[in-house]
Amino acid sequence: MEPVLADRLQFAFTIMFHYLFPITTMGLAPFVAWFTVRAARTREVELARAAAFWTKIFTINFAVGVVTGIPMEFQFGTNWAAFSAKAGAVVGQPLALEGVYAFFLESIFLGALFYARREIPSRLQAVSAIFVWLGSWLSGFFIVDTDAWMQHPVGYTVSADGTIQMSSLAAVLGSPFAWWQFLHVLCGALVTGGFVVAGIGAYYLLRSDAVRQAQDERFGRLFVRTGVVVALVFSLLAIFPTGDKNGDDVTKDQPVKLAAMEGLFQTQKGAPLAIIGMPDVQNHTLIDPVEVPDVLSFLAYGNFKANVKGLNAYAAALWPPMELTYYAYHVMVGLGTIFVGIAVLAALFLWRSALFRTPIVLWLLMLAMPFPYIANEAGWVTTEVGRQPWIIYGIMRTANAASPTVVTGETIFTLIGFVGMYFILGVLFLYLVLREIAIGPSGEPAAHGGSIEAVS
Amino acid sequence: MITASFVLIAFMIAGYVLLDGYDLGVAAIAPIVAASDDDRLTAMKSIGPFWNGNEVFLVAGGAILFALFPQAYASSFSGFYLPFIIVLWLLMGRGIALELREHFPSRIWHQFWDACFTIASVLLALLFGVALGNLIRGVPLDAQGYFTGTFGFLLNWYAVLVGVFAVCVLALHGATFLVLRTAGPLAERTRAFAGRMWIAVFVLFAGVTAATFAVHPIHGWAIGFGALATCGLVAARVFLSRRAELPAFLGSSAFLAALIAAAASTIFPYLIPAFPAWNAGGLSMNQAAPTAGALASALGVSVFGMIAVLVYGGIVWRMLAGKVYGGE
Repeated sequence: MEPVLADRLQFAFTIMFHYLFPITTMGLAPFVAWFTVRAARTREVELARAAAFWTKIFTINFAVGVVTGIPMEFQFGTNWAAFSAKAGAVVGQPLALEGVYAFFLESIFLGALFYARREIPSRLQAVSAIFVWLGSWLSGFFIVDTDAWMQHPVGYTVSADGTIQMSSLAAVLGSPFAWWQFLHVLCGALVTGGFVVAGIGAYYLLRSDAVRQAQDERFGRLFVRTGVVVALVFSLLAIFPTGDKNGDDVTKDQPVKLAAMEGLFQTQKGAPLAIIGMPDVQNHTLIDPVEVPDVLSFLAYGNFKANVKGLNAYAAALWPPMELTYYAYHVMVGLGTIFVGIAVLAALFLWRSALFRTPIVLWLLMLAMPFPYIANEAGWVTTEVGRQPWIIYGIMRTANAASPTVVTGETIFTLIGFVGMYFILGVLFLYLVLREIAIGPSGEPAAHGGSIEAVS
Repeated sequence: MITASFVLIAFMIAGYVLLDGYDLGVAAIAPIVAASDDDRLTAMKSIGPFWNGNEVFLVAGGAILFALFPQAYASSFSGFYLPFIIVLWLLMGRGIALELREHFPSRIWHQFWDACFTIASVLLALLFGVALGNLIRGVPLDAQGYFTGTFGFLLNWYAVLVGVFAVCVLALHGATFLVLRTAGPLAERTRAFAGRMWIAVFVLFAGVTAATFAVHPIHGWAIGFGALATCGLVAARVFLSRRAELPAFLGSSAFLAALIAAAASTIFPYLIPAFPAWNAGGLSMNQAAPTAGALASALGVSVFGMIAVLVYGGIVWRMLAGKVYGGE
């Protein structure tokens, strides 16, 4: 195996596993802050319990996110030394900013919020929760900004020795490409957060029996109500304007990626939008497609008869892995559309005050929980696999980016190690989270964290 | 400017050693001084709210190295590939042990994570010491600064000596922290342990100092920092026996900071000195640095950010100061 392929597999595996947790923490952070602030204001025991419950879920996610995030920070150096040496002066900066401005904020205040619930007054808890929220979103911004620079490099110069130097930090941090991408990522995280909160609420309503009824009903309603509203707002914003703007940026800056995403082989005026269909890359065609005529031209250029370049317009060496890009994109878009449908349906029932009495919709909400994770991952696969063959778009090829001194055997060995460790981590995580959910906000407080004494 | 960047990296490392050092130290001594499940919980709780923020010094330090000295970051991380990945795995094991122990009330569960916590932490302290020892002694490098030696080379007598020294120093540091954060029999046992460990650290300190003269030419700065370290170590001893807990911890911290400063001034201006260290050479900071403009912006935002961290971190740390007790 080529060393670079082993490096790519390792990066893909570790980042995709890791990302499950930041999606959740970015998505839940506003809920934790909301419940904590409301609890501090109203002094209601119910809200304090809700805040403690979500802090606990957040903390488990955060812990796994932190331990799986450490390798990400260092993998640029261990596995991608050629890339790091060439571009470190630029990509190192948002990463350093993330460490200095976001990680410290998040971890120091989460320590205060989680471990010291009993020791600090409720107003300080509220402040800590807000800082944790800020830290988790800032961290997301710096990471997306780093990625966006690799997608669409700005604010740099190439020096005589071939290294890339930063000419403007403001340009790198203020890149519109990065901001639209970040807002889209945030929408993805908030859709996840909304569906997780609503889904767990729906679970409490559905399981509610004679013994636990009063408690389960109260928390179930609170979570479903809050979750559905957030899921509705952000599943819409994920499509428009943020998804739409990301599409525009890809159309403008990465037209090959666009063609691969949409499964468009032939350059044509009035290009159709393929809803489904299986790509046959050998014969440059989609098998059994369901297409809407002219719509791709409209989405890309705002004109139903605009000319859209297909993959055939580019040398095959410039194509990203087409099938993966195509399917990842269609999974993301398909799921995103379904989320809007579920959220609108649930919101309608909520508005008519019928949601809590309609088990079928509650079931739908509960079972929807895993799918935002899939949609988020699929979105990242679209953007990262679609960036190939470049590691820095138009500047450096992935094939030239790996560490010159690390051989395939070492990477495979460490990949096996990561797979084993993450498997155990995943099992532990599921066990602990499911256990906390089963106990619920009204249950016995666990060894630390779950106390309400500090608030009352 | 480049020198300031070098100092910032040294500062991040010193911050990491000072802060996460006591986490590792508490973990290392927990099986010795903690007599019961409850004591071990107290030991973990003493560092509970802090360890994650402390570890960020390492992560942020790595990222700052990436931004300020890309070539050094690339060469060292990929050159020492397996040792680095092992450090990552140990860090993961340590973190997960700390975070998961209290989520499930079972003795077997607790014992398992206690063992992970201690083993991972002791190995981390040892490996960090070995790494530092190799930095001082120098390593075989090619023109780009990539490591060309073997695993066996890294386990030389000097590096292993520094590794053992690091374990003992952090055990002492952790003990002064645990004395500060706990009360009752646990604190008394830890105090007695710290007294014994101090002797071991003192003897090893003398040994490592002598050995360092044998592997590397010593500059005046390093001798000054070494003298400062001696003062810190003596102060830690004096305050420990006077039961002045915070000054004892600060004395131990000064000892650690001065040791890191001495090490940094020994290898300056090299980021990775070549072996043998007697003929000065290696990957120097001037060779690894980006252009002045990029350096200025990276340095500026990093320094500003770190000042902010120290301010709000200090506030939170003060808020959470005081003694901790086990399961309530």
